Amino acid sequence: MLELAIGIILGACALGAGMAMIAGIGPGIGEGNAVAKACEAIGRQPESKGSVTTTMLMGCAIAETTGLYALVIAILLIFLAPGRFVDILMNTIGG
Amino acid sequence: MKKIDAVVARETLYVTAWVLVFSVIMEAVFLLLGKWDFTVLFGNLLGAVGAVINFLLLGITVQNAVSKDEKDAKNLVKLSYTLRNFMYVAICVVGFAFECFNIIAVLVPLLFPSVAVKLRMIWYKDPDMGGENANEKGT
Repeated sequence: MLELAIGIILGACALGAGMAMIAGIGPGIGEGNAVAKACEAIGRQPESKGSVTTTMLMGCAIAETTGLYALVIAILLIFLAPGRFVDILMNTIGG
Repeated sequence: MKKIDAVVARETLYVTAWVLVFSVIMEAVFLLLGKWDFTVLFGNLLGAVGAVINFLLLGITVQNAVSKDEKDAKNLVKLSYTLRNFMYVAICVVGFAFECFNIIAVLVPLLFPSVAVKLRMIWYKDPDMGGENANEKGT
C-alpha cells in the first residue's frame, strides 16, 4: 500500500511537471511572431532599427518570463516536491 | 564571428548590474534567515551567470534575426528559445545533482533578468522604450 502511495506521488509530480511545461509553448510562438513583425517594421523604416531592436529585446525578455516560471515550477515538481511529499506521507503514517 | 551590437551590449550590462544587486539582496535574505552557507553562494553564482548568458544569447539572436527575412527570423527565434530552455534545464540539473549548490539559490537568480526588465519598463522614460510616459513624450 505504501509503495502504491509513493508511486502515485511520483506519478502526480511528473504529470504536474509535464503539464506546467505546456506554458513553455506560448512564449516561443509569441517571440517568433514579435520578431517577424519587427523585421517587417525595419523593412519599412530601416532608420528605426536601433529603437526597434531595443524594444524587441525587452519585449522578448518579458515574453520569456512565463516560460521561465513554468520551467521553475516543473523543476521544483521533479526534484524537490517528491521528497517533501514522501516525507509528509511517512510522518503521517508514523504519527 | 559577428560583433555584438552596441544596443545588445548596453542592455546586457544593465541586466548584469541588476542581477548583481538582486543577488546581494538574496544572499542577505539567506543570511537573515540563518540559512546561508557556501552552497547558497555557489548556487547563486551558477544561476546568475546562467541568467546573464541567457539574456546575452537572446540579444545576439534578436540582433541576427533583424537582418533576416520574416520567416527565417521567426524560426531562428523559436530555435534559440528552445535551446536556451535546454540550457536552463541543464543548469537546474547541475544545481540539483551536485551537493555544492543550493537548488533554491540556483533557481531564484534565473528570474532576475525579467524582474530587471520589468523595473526598466516602469521607470524608463525614453519614448522609444515604451515606458509609461511614452505616449506623452513621444508626440
